[in-house]
Amino acid sequence: MHSSRDTTGYSVRSFFQLALVIAAKDVRAELRSRTALQSALVFAALVLVVFNFARDPTALSATELAPSVLWVTFALAAMVALNRAFMVERENAAMDGLLLAPIPREALFLGKLLANLAFVGTVEAVTIPLFVLFFNVNLGRALPGLLSVTALATLGFVAVGTIFSAMAVRTRFAELMLPVLLLPFMVPPLIAAVQVTSRLLANRPLSEMWGWLRLLALYDIVFVTLCMMIFSAVVDE
Amino acid sequence: MIASSAETQALRVARRGIWISAVAFLGLAAVVVLALAFTPVEARQGLAQKIFYLHVPAAWAALLAFSLVGITSALYLWLKDPRLDRFAAASAEVGVVFSAVMLTTGPIWAKPIWGTWWTWDARLTLTLFVFFLFIGYLALRAAVHDTAERARFSAVVGILGMLLVPFVHLSVYLFRTLHPQPIVLKPSAPSLPAEMLTTLLVSTLVFTVLYVGLVTARYGLALADEAREEARDAA
Amino acid sequence: MPPETPQNGEYLVAAYVITAVILLAYWLRLWSRVKILIGGEKHERGRRT
Repeated sequence: MHSSRDTTGYSVRSFFQLALVIAAKDVRAELRSRTALQSALVFAALVLVVFNFARDPTALSATELAPSVLWVTFALAAMVALNRAFMVERENAAMDGLLLAPIPREALFLGKLLANLAFVGTVEAVTIPLFVLFFNVNLGRALPGLLSVTALATLGFVAVGTIFSAMAVRTRFAELMLPVLLLPFMVPPLIAAVQVTSRLLANRPLSEMWGWLRLLALYDIVFVTLCMMIFSAVVDE
Repeated sequence: MIASSAETQALRVARRGIWISAVAFLGLAAVVVLALAFTPVEARQGLAQKIFYLHVPAAWAALLAFSLVGITSALYLWLKDPRLDRFAAASAEVGVVFSAVMLTTGPIWAKPIWGTWWTWDARLTLTLFVFFLFIGYLALRAAVHDTAERARFSAVVGILGMLLVPFVHLSVYLFRTLHPQPIVLKPSAPSLPAEMLTTLLVSTLVFTVLYVGLVTARYGLALADEAREEARDAA
Repeated sequence: MPPETPQNGEYLVAAYVITAVILLAYWLRLWSRVKILIGGEKHERGRRT
C-alpha cells in the first residue's frame, strides 16, 4: 500500500494493479450479497420470455427479431445491474473510505468499470445460452464474433453507465435518473451491435460489419477515456 | 426582507433579456409576413414548404444552444466559474424550447411532403437525441440540491452529451449507406431562389436574437434567485 | 400539363401557430417571473424610504 499522499507517483503497472484491487473488492462484495447479480439474471430471463410471447410467430420469424431482442435484453439487464451495484455500495458507505485514500480517481473509475463489466458480463454470459434456447438460434461459427461484439458494445455503455450511476446514486429518484441519462448513450452501441449480430447470425462476410465494428471501437476509446478523466468531477468535492 | 443590490442588478439583466426577445418577436412577425407574402410558393411542395422558414432556424438555434451547453460545461470543469454553470443551465432550458419547436414543426412538415410523420433520417433523429439529452440534463439539475455538486454533475452530462452527437450522426449515416432508403423529395432545393434565401437568413438572424434574449432573461432570473437565496441565508 | 401544386395550407398554419405558441408561452413565463420579482423588490425599496 502506498504510504505517501502523492497520487501522481504511480507507475502504469501499479495503476492497473490498484484498479484490479478495487475491482476485486467490489466483485467480492457482490458475490457475498449477490443482490445485483440475482436481480439482473432473473430480469434478463424474464425479458427473454416476455419477448417470446410478445410476438406473433406467423408474422415475424425468430431470426428476424432475435438480434434486437438479445440487445434490448442486454441493455435493460445492464441498467438493472448498474443501479443495484451502486446502491449496495452506497448503503455500505464503502466509497467514502476509498475516497479518503490517495487513490487516483482514474484508477478508481477503472476498478469500478472492471467490476461492473464483470457483473454485466456474467448476466450476458447466462443470457446467451437462454437466448439460443428460446429463439432456436443456430450459433455455429458465429459464437466468437458474437462474443467479440458483445464485449465491444458492453464496454461502451458500461463505461458511461458507471459514471452516470455514480452520479445518479447521489440524487433523488436515482432509479429513474440512471435510465433517463444513460439511454441516449446506449443507442449508438446498440444500433451497431444489433447490425453486427444480425449479420453474424446470417453468416455474412466480415466486410459488411467492418464499419459498425469501427464505430464501436471508436465509441469505446472516446468514452472510456473521457469518463475516466472526468470521474473525479463526480466523486470529489 | 430588503432586496439586495445583487438582486436588483440581476433583474436588470433579466429585463434586458426580456426586451431583446420582445424585439426578436417583432422580427419574427416580420419573418412570418415575409414567408407568407414575399416568398414564392414552391410548385412541387405547395404552401407547407414554408414551414422551412421556421423549422431550419429553430434547428440552428437548438444546435447553438446545445453546443454552448457543451462548451461552457467543459470550461466550467476547467475554470470552476459559477457564471459558466449558470449560463449552461439557461442555454439548456432555452434549447429545450427550440427543440420542441423543431420536434413539432418537423413532423408537421414531413407529413404533407414525405407522406409520413416521422423518419429516422439524420436531421430528425439528431433532433430527437438533442431533445432527450436536454431533458436528461434538466432532470439531473432538478434532482441535485447542492449548487456545487449540481454544477459539476451537469457539466459532466453536458460534455458527454456533446460528444455523443457525432456518434449518433455516424450511426445514422452508416445505417443509411448500408440500407438504401427510397428517394424522398428533398425539402430544400440545392439552389434557393433569392427571396427564399433572404427570408431564411432573416429568420435565422431573428431566431439567433431570440436565443440571446431568452438566455439573457433566463440567466438574469437564475442570478436573481441566487441573490435572494443568499440574502435569505445571511438574514 | 404541369403537376398540380398540393393544397396543404392547413399544415402551414398548424406549424406557424404551434411555433408561435411555444415561443410566446416560454417568453411569457419568463416575463411574468421577472415582473413578480421586480414588483416584490420595488415594494421593499418603497418600504425602506
